[in-house]
Amino acid sequence: MSSPQITRRETLQWVAAALASSGFPHYAMAARPRALRETTLRGYGTDPDLNNPVVPWKRTMTGHQLQLTAQLADLILPATASAPAPSALGLPDFVDEWISAPYPEQQRDRSIILNGLGWFDAEAIRRWERPFFEVSGEHQKRLLGEAILEAAGNESTAGQFIRRFRFVVVGGYYSTPEGAKDIGYIGNVALQSFPPVSEDERAIIDAELRRLGIY
Amino acid sequence: MKELYDVAVVGSGAAGGMSAYVLTQAGLKVLMLEVGRDYVPAAETPMFKLPAEAPLRAAQTPDKPGGFYDATVDGGYDLPGEPYTCAEGAQYQWWRARMLGGRTNHWGRLAVRYGPYDFKSYSRDGLGVDWPITYDELAPWYDRVERLIGVAGANEGLENTPDSPAGVLLPAFPLRASEYFVKRGFESMGIPVAAARLAILTRLHNGRPPCLYATPCVRGCSIGANFQSTTVLIPPARNSGNLQIRTNALVYQVDLDRKGQAAGVSFVDRRTGRHHSVRAKSVVLAASTCESARILLNSRSAQFPQGLANESGQVGRNLTDTVAIHTLAQFPALEKLPPRNDDGASMFHMYVPWWAYTQQAKKELDFPRGYHIEPYGRGALPSAGPPDISIANYAEHCVASHGLALREEMRRKFGTYFMFGGRGEMIPNDRTFVDLDPMVKDKWGIPVLRFHWQYHDYELCQAAHQRTTFREITSRLGGKIIWEPEKPPAGLNHETGTTRMGASAKDSVVNSFGQSWSVKNLFVMDGGIFASHPRSPTLTILALAWRNSSFLAEEARKGNL
Repeated sequence: MSSPQITRRETLQWVAAALASSGFPHYAMAARPRALRETTLRGYGTDPDLNNPVVPWKRTMTGHQLQLTAQLADLILPATASAPAPSALGLPDFVDEWISAPYPEQQRDRSIILNGLGWFDAEAIRRWERPFFEVSGEHQKRLLGEAILEAAGNESTAGQFIRRFRFVVVGGYYSTPEGAKDIGYIGNVALQSFPPVSEDERAIIDAELRRLGIY
Repeated sequence: MKELYDVAVVGSGAAGGMSAYVLTQAGLKVLMLEVGRDYVPAAETPMFKLPAEAPLRAAQTPDKPGGFYDATVDGGYDLPGEPYTCAEGAQYQWWRARMLGGRTNHWGRLAVRYGPYDFKSYSRDGLGVDWPITYDELAPWYDRVERLIGVAGANEGLENTPDSPAGVLLPAFPLRASEYFVKRGFESMGIPVAAARLAILTRLHNGRPPCLYATPCVRGCSIGANFQSTTVLIPPARNSGNLQIRTNALVYQVDLDRKGQAAGVSFVDRRTGRHHSVRAKSVVLAASTCESARILLNSRSAQFPQGLANESGQVGRNLTDTVAIHTLAQFPALEKLPPRNDDGASMFHMYVPWWAYTQQAKKELDFPRGYHIEPYGRGALPSAGPPDISIANYAEHCVASHGLALREEMRRKFGTYFMFGGRGEMIPNDRTFVDLDPMVKDKWGIPVLRFHWQYHDYELCQAAHQRTTFREITSRLGGKIIWEPEKPPAGLNHETGTTRMGASAKDSVVNSFGQSWSVKNLFVMDGGIFASHPRSPTLTILALAWRNSSFLAEEARKGNL
């Protein structure tokens, strides 16, 4: 995890981004850079067809980078009996879509993530004289563990990589239908009516409230 | 365009849509001028579309700053070729849309009335100004609006939080389990919680079907179950046969006749860059609070060297917006709940009206005006973009870094976060206003607005109280604060006040009907005419636009315009 300072800064950015838009807390939070328009000519534009979305930019990762991405993503969110691994849900392709996008946030992530992928290979070669995908599972986990320690506030290549790579992989994974199901999301279906709080739910909450001294 | 219209209505959102609705029903020939393109919610709303189908999982980008699926067309805080500026030290952000229906297409749908105190706030605490009307004068118009658009909610009998007449409101949305939890927390603090008043249907209403309890309202609604100008006001106005709509028309000037009365408006076609003028017997400015002020300031002439209808010097002054603290908290107690469908109305189903009038009256608080609280908390459709915060951000707040432990923690904490949003009243001050930037012009050569912004201690003390309240509710409920800001942002897309109404031509731009003091056939109908801004403005914009457009129609019938 990041240091309090980094977490705070990053949190500021995402809360600002989320709030600065519409709808939900659909409001401005902090100043957003005014120059963000510059690269949008190559994006999907300010009036895309929302019912027929297309990604107009080309993917740019190499096969080797995609393989490395799959391995690392599967270590961050390993498959379970009920939930597939990220690589089985096309997460490497989503990471490629993300870091190939023309927008400023994604362009920043591009250099961080591609440099980070290179770091894993470089470290594996330096220590074990093989690229990352050829070293043992134990060595892979060891390198990932070291990078995760770096992520705790360290601005090193590995530390920056983990923070942003995890962001993209976790966000990409749980926003698939399979990921949403795994996290316990139920919805996006038309209902006749919205059900009130059930007796079971009320009993659980009332018990928690009593535990907290609220009667 | 040689045709002479009865009324030119500039804008098509809450104010313009309502004005066109009322005027066309009264038999007047109306030309509506909308700066953006035509927009058809039934065809364009991305109902049920999944984040996985959208570029970048629907994340915010400079192209779609509200996220991919946000209804806003060609809009946001930065529009190419249509800049605005901020004076040194100001950081105001101005959200605009370029589409028929304007910002009503994506707004949050909280539809609250202003209370009796709000219209007489100067008389109560000596700050700002009183409205030239009372709550009782506006109440019948609130009733009409609620009957027309459909507002779900409940009569709670709370101080300065008016009830509606029996039979007007639609049934309230039932609370989500997480909301029931937080409601009990507020009540333990002695703070009453009310059903949210939402312009979203909970049953068939005027031929419109009820909510499907799925698909966030910020995307708009293809079935018209929530209020959008494009689904509720513009269709009947069109069906009257009395409405024409000109899209892509950026109005920049009110034209005058030799007597100094409004003769029409001039606009530039955003697609062709060509300039046009249209003639009308009356002009309604409903272009949004700041855009209407810009039009008046740009309508300079020998007779009106400071801009039209600006003899008082008040055009552009008195800008106010909402004072908002957002605190994010996580509640372990909610981890005990089983997975459930939390989609609902996509917005909060309850809110907290301001509760401490008595304390303020006793001078026990260091700020004069109140705020309400919007508690956002649910297990929403996971996405990388709005309307909810990216699911990826929740990983940042997990103890586990990766592996099965991260999976377990993500699952356990899903649906256990609340974002508490304060929505406070700001008092107009001399340092917060808009004027024309002396240097900068838009791509068509029209001078742009310059924002000046500064909070007074009234707002900063109120924001501190918001933060303290959110800390207390979080603590009582055993939660943990994930994030809270130091200060409120400069505004929340709720601009009001720049063409303020008043009882005297000396210190206001328009009279109590939105009618210019000096140009009798010129009206302003949007939030610019608000004399104060106690809470979310849309329902009040609609009520005033109905009332004032009815006055306009009656004056036209009498031949007074």
